[in-house]
Amino acid sequence: MNPYQSLAEKYRIQNYQDLKGQEKAISEVKTFLQEFPRRKALLLYGPAGTGKTSLALAAAKENDLEVLELNSSDLRNRAKLEEVLKPAALQHSLFKKGKILLVDEVDGVTGTDIGGIAELIRIIETTKYPIIITGNDIWQTKLAPLRPKCKLVEMKPLPQAHINDLLNSIALKENMRKDFSFLNKIAIKSQGDMRAALNDLQSYTAGENILVDTSELRDVEETIFIILKRIFKERSDFLNLFDSTKMSLDEILLWIEENAPKEYKNIALAKAFEALGNADLFRGRIYRHQSWRFLVYQNIFQSAGVSYAKSSAVQGFTRYEPPKRILKIWLNNQKIEKKKTIAKKYARLVHCSTQRAMRDFALLKPIIQNINVQRQLRLSDDEIEYMRV
Amino acid sequence: MATASDIWTEKYRPTSFAEVVGQQEIIKRTRSLVQALNIPHLMFAGPAGTGKSTLALIIVKELFGSSWRDNYLELNASDERGIDVVRQKVKDFARTKAMENVPFKVIFLDEADALTREAQQALRRTMENFTNTCRFILSCNYSSSIIDPIQSRCVVLRFKLLEKKDINVVVKRIAEKENLVLSDDVYEILYEASEGDCRRAINLLQATASISLNINGEMINIIAATSKPAGIRIVLDYALAGDFINAREKLIEVMLKDSVAGVDIIKAMQKEIWHLPVEPEVKVKLTEKTGEIEFRMIEGSDEFVQLQALLASFVLAGQGKAV
Repeated sequence: MNPYQSLAEKYRIQNYQDLKGQEKAISEVKTFLQEFPRRKALLLYGPAGTGKTSLALAAAKENDLEVLELNSSDLRNRAKLEEVLKPAALQHSLFKKGKILLVDEVDGVTGTDIGGIAELIRIIETTKYPIIITGNDIWQTKLAPLRPKCKLVEMKPLPQAHINDLLNSIALKENMRKDFSFLNKIAIKSQGDMRAALNDLQSYTAGENILVDTSELRDVEETIFIILKRIFKERSDFLNLFDSTKMSLDEILLWIEENAPKEYKNIALAKAFEALGNADLFRGRIYRHQSWRFLVYQNIFQSAGVSYAKSSAVQGFTRYEPPKRILKIWLNNQKIEKKKTIAKKYARLVHCSTQRAMRDFALLKPIIQNINVQRQLRLSDDEIEYMRV
Repeated sequence: MATASDIWTEKYRPTSFAEVVGQQEIIKRTRSLVQALNIPHLMFAGPAGTGKSTLALIIVKELFGSSWRDNYLELNASDERGIDVVRQKVKDFARTKAMENVPFKVIFLDEADALTREAQQALRRTMENFTNTCRFILSCNYSSSIIDPIQSRCVVLRFKLLEKKDINVVVKRIAEKENLVLSDDVYEILYEASEGDCRRAINLLQATASISLNINGEMINIIAATSKPAGIRIVLDYALAGDFINAREKLIEVMLKDSVAGVDIIKAMQKEIWHLPVEPEVKVKLTEKTGEIEFRMIEGSDEFVQLQALLASFVLAGQGKAV
């Protein structure tokens, strides 16, 4: 065995059975593969080190499928995606063995590679093989068009007990002298990230077989979940709270807005939303007047403002959820696409705005159902069909 | 003459000054301007369905006769993607001179109040640049939402909501042509439901007539109810019962399903406040809060965030607490 292989690689799980704590995700993947091609692609998302790539690889192994792996960090442009993915998706495997296309770290496709996501969507539409995509932060806007094309499966941070067990068994296999409390420390620090835990384990042993305790903490980017937890559970001014994340203030605002009613009730909720309303007010002013100085106000309202909405700190665990309404709006826009094109044709004819026609649509519906009107508006067959329902 | 439309708002749209119902003062003024073959920039301010687009069309038809289509550009500010698109279209249109003995073309910019102040500044420059070849007719709901420099370059004409007798004339005219049998209460109810908006009155009439040519007031009411943003009361009932999450869920559903703008939601909420089972003092407080939120929306804030803040206040009101 390669002595330079990292522990994380060496102990990458090989089959479903080894992947502890992700039973739900596993069963979703199983269904996905069984039902293919009902859904063409599956998007595994969750924090780092929860086993997304491992699960994909295990799925391939369990079903005796060949894996064509694409790390979009490497394939950063459309030309390359096209060159590598297309032939694979369109041609059958040499040995008639089935394939899985694995697009790892899809959030690595950056904004400058315009077309990368669009290309991926096209591939999803034409593929003959199941596609598994992994990503950490899939709620970014650039991935919005991708999400509805995929079955979304969440992978949660691993429970600490699982990480503990694994570290112990690996320490045993590697002949490390055991030190339970230290292994436990690593497990806690990992915050559910198995890979981080293994890397820590490796770095502290540094070739020797003795675990060396160091109290330095792993410098993780604070995830949005931690930020939310601090805002909602603690009472503090948090002036630098958002410095530790790459997420934009606007995006954080969406997360707070989504989860506030889970944490706060009544007066606290009203105060929190008043603060959010103020944050939003300043955001609007920033955009309209390009006064970036106002960022400081938005920042304070949506951190300290929300935190101080309650009268005392609170305990307990809350399951935070990603903001849903942007997705809802997007899905709705897809759904009402026909309605919009009809409204547009109608609006042009009767000298009003498309928006007004959209708003009055319920009233206009019986009028537009008239066959002569449909002819005059030159509605397409699809649109006529839409008016029928 | 093209074949008449089966959409009644088009079929019965007045095509000459004489046919217009209501707004007589405005008609008189524009008629004399048109007769002099020279109109200034105009601004039509007034609620929807009071005849702004109709009058613009009449003006160009009177000015250009059968070739009006070549000399008339209609834009809708709320549909165009940004002021740059508007400017480009104006530029393309204004490049050639008018062919007739009228020395200018006419550009009708509907819903000009949808433009931001910055966009209006840009529009003002455009108006100046093409003032030799073009006349602008801007339409808006409130002239106050149009910047002063533009207002001062226009003759501002204020359109009023149509009165009951005006709407009645229109309804009667259509009923005769379409062989409708109207019961006596139809006029009153149609006027109430239209709120002085002639387009809405005609649409209501046609939507009802698509079911039966024998129409009574109750049928109008039913049709009118289905076309109002429904569900606002349900949203508020959830909120008053302390269930914020369901109130929010329902709110998003209402807004998305019928493409209702936040401002329309808040107007409906404001009307609903007085029917809610809370103390009068609380109603006043809620109204104050509602007004503030409506103002913020007009200023360009995110409507969902602001409406949620309002919902949280309704939750408090439901518990009899100060808002």
